Amino acid sequence: MLRGPLAIFKRDFKKFLSNPFIIMMTLFMPIMYLIIFGSAMGGTISHIPVGVVQEVPPYQDTPLFTNASYQLNHISQGSENDAEKQLDVTLYTDEVQAKQDLQDGKISAVIVFPSSVSNDNAVRVYVDSSDSITPPLVEGAVTSVLEQLGAHNPIIIDKIYGDITYLQFFGVGVIMMAIFTSTMFGGGIALIKDRENGIHEGYLVTPVKRSSIVMGIISSGTVRAFIAGFTIFWIDLLITGITLQSFQDFLLVLLVILIACMGVTSLVVSFASRFSSQQEYSSVIAFFNLMLFMTSGAFYPVIGMPGWLRWITVINPEYYGIHALRSIILRNQGFNVIGIDLIALLIFSSVMIILGIVTFRRTLE
Amino acid sequence: MHLFGQKKDPVPAPQTSPELPKEAAGNATPQPDRQTGWSTAGDSAIIRIDHLSKVFASKTKTVTAVNDVSFEVKRGEIFGLLGANGAGKSTLIRILTTLLSPTSGQAFVNNYDITQDPEKIREIIGVCAQNYTSDSELTAYDNLEFYGKLENVPDSILQDRIWELLKMAGLADRAYMPVGTFSGGMKRKLEIVRAFIHRPLILFLDEPTIGLDPEARREVWQQIMMLNRENTTIILTTHYMDEAEKLCDRIAFVEKGRLIALDTMENLRKLIPAGDLIEIGIDHMDPRAEEELRSVPLVNAVSVVEHKIMISATNGSEAILSILALFEKFQIPVSSLSIRSPSLEDIFIYLTGKGLDNGNGEGNDAPGPGRKR
Repeated sequence: MLRGPLAIFKRDFKKFLSNPFIIMMTLFMPIMYLIIFGSAMGGTISHIPVGVVQEVPPYQDTPLFTNASYQLNHISQGSENDAEKQLDVTLYTDEVQAKQDLQDGKISAVIVFPSSVSNDNAVRVYVDSSDSITPPLVEGAVTSVLEQLGAHNPIIIDKIYGDITYLQFFGVGVIMMAIFTSTMFGGGIALIKDRENGIHEGYLVTPVKRSSIVMGIISSGTVRAFIAGFTIFWIDLLITGITLQSFQDFLLVLLVILIACMGVTSLVVSFASRFSSQQEYSSVIAFFNLMLFMTSGAFYPVIGMPGWLRWITVINPEYYGIHALRSIILRNQGFNVIGIDLIALLIFSSVMIILGIVTFRRTLE
Repeated sequence: MHLFGQKKDPVPAPQTSPELPKEAAGNATPQPDRQTGWSTAGDSAIIRIDHLSKVFASKTKTVTAVNDVSFEVKRGEIFGLLGANGAGKSTLIRILTTLLSPTSGQAFVNNYDITQDPEKIREIIGVCAQNYTSDSELTAYDNLEFYGKLENVPDSILQDRIWELLKMAGLADRAYMPVGTFSGGMKRKLEIVRAFIHRPLILFLDEPTIGLDPEARREVWQQIMMLNRENTTIILTTHYMDEAEKLCDRIAFVEKGRLIALDTMENLRKLIPAGDLIEIGIDHMDPRAEEELRSVPLVNAVSVVEHKIMISATNGSEAILSILALFEKFQIPVSSLSIRSPSLEDIFIYLTGKGLDNGNGEGNDAPGPGRKR
């Protein structure tokens, strides 16, 4: 009576054991979740770049400015180690310049101290409200420093991009996620299916070049990912209530989505040109999905990640994609800010396309 | 239309270097005459294989799928590669079609080196692989269109060509149905017509009729012969004796990766020393006649079983005249007469000591390039 179920069990289990790669990935995934997700989300935020400037004229530094700047720059995050200080203070002499740097995303906040002839003696804090995590921290740091110094200046907070909710912050990241999931199912899986079914033997004997095969797959994957990303972009606008400032912004968003699709698809396809089992491929891609999405800053600002994890963001196409999208959608910034993201994405895509072509097996071996 | 495809006239065996095996499989490495072989290669030989070997190495064992094979395929012929499962036929085809690289040795297809100029070779060959390689999610038309484009068939003629091929395969009414819904025979026919969508110079057919019913096989044979009339060189692998016998101008026997014989059907028959089998039905036998029969030239053996005389003769049709004259002389009435040439199967058994289908094919199965790495 039990022979049937046992036979099925045995068959299934044998298959499971015969594929050590899958066993490894099964165990590896949760561990990586623990390490990456835990580190990315739970890390204490340190080294927030802030600009500190004093109102002018007159051009003499007040004691409050000097002391507060020093104190702000030496807020320790638990340990005495300098590497863990909370704020990285840059002193500005020109308030306009400081605000410009804030606009361009070079710093997260500008703290303006009153001059000796100020009317209200208020300390003004300009924060980058497109980032939902750092503004409260900067605000808290300023408050505590003023308290330590016994100063009773009022603090005025200016959210330079207005009130931006976490939903809106995260929503932009979800556009990137849509791109990635669509490439997971679309990009390159056709190549692997061909290999699994032996269909590739048919077209490998035709004059078609391997670059043609890889480029064809990448372009079809890119278009599919673009459709997914574009759809989610609209849904995102509807759900989170973000409005774009101009038609030019809209076009920029499309450009960024397209280039990001190309980057992510070529990454995935460069893997597909090597794998021959759907199962192995999916588990590797799922792993990459996790790595890249967690470190992309979609959930949590990159600034909150430990240093080793932040290195991954440097080669993470999603980081550049999300950064560019946030710059346009939430901060209304232009090419001067996102240019570097686009260049990084294009370099990344090119490297991956070349890698995909070079590693593509033209023979059956 | 010739049903069962009449056998083509065998090309006369080349007298210079017929590449006959010396004896049995063991040391039979044919050594084509370098001088003549090379100098005439340009016009007569379309494929030249020179000491080609392929070894598959895995953790557990190494298998020599192709072992020091040398031969030539002539322009315009139908060349048969015959051997049991796992004899190395498909591996050889895959090497020649640039899907695998040889472990050692050289091969030239239309004077292109398979390792140096694989792109050039891919442009002139058409391949029908042993397993189905059509995309089952696409329709028959889409599959042909896809391959037409990959094979650089000009767009201006592609559509007409596709319909021509679909009609040839009898699939015109199913052009827009997914290939996944086709029967095995339909799929196979689609594969075969797809292989020559671009009118290749050389067509490789790896077990083209495997799993087909007799009628479908005949249709495939007709297609093959029709193509050959259009000067396509065809390299065919099969383990069906009758197929090779009907279609092929020359046949190469492959056994455990080695080439053990290569010649026309007619010359291969001569390999069997027993020769043709002659059966004569009689009422009675004169012992004197029997004695004299044994001394007839060309006759190798005679045995009398009741009302039947079995004679094996080196050249049956020639010997039969003198045999019948002898019967006339002794006034023995002949009630029936049959001459049977040895079949390919007989030759194969003679050469290898075992049959094709029940050989140790499975045990010797070359692993081939696995799908898993």
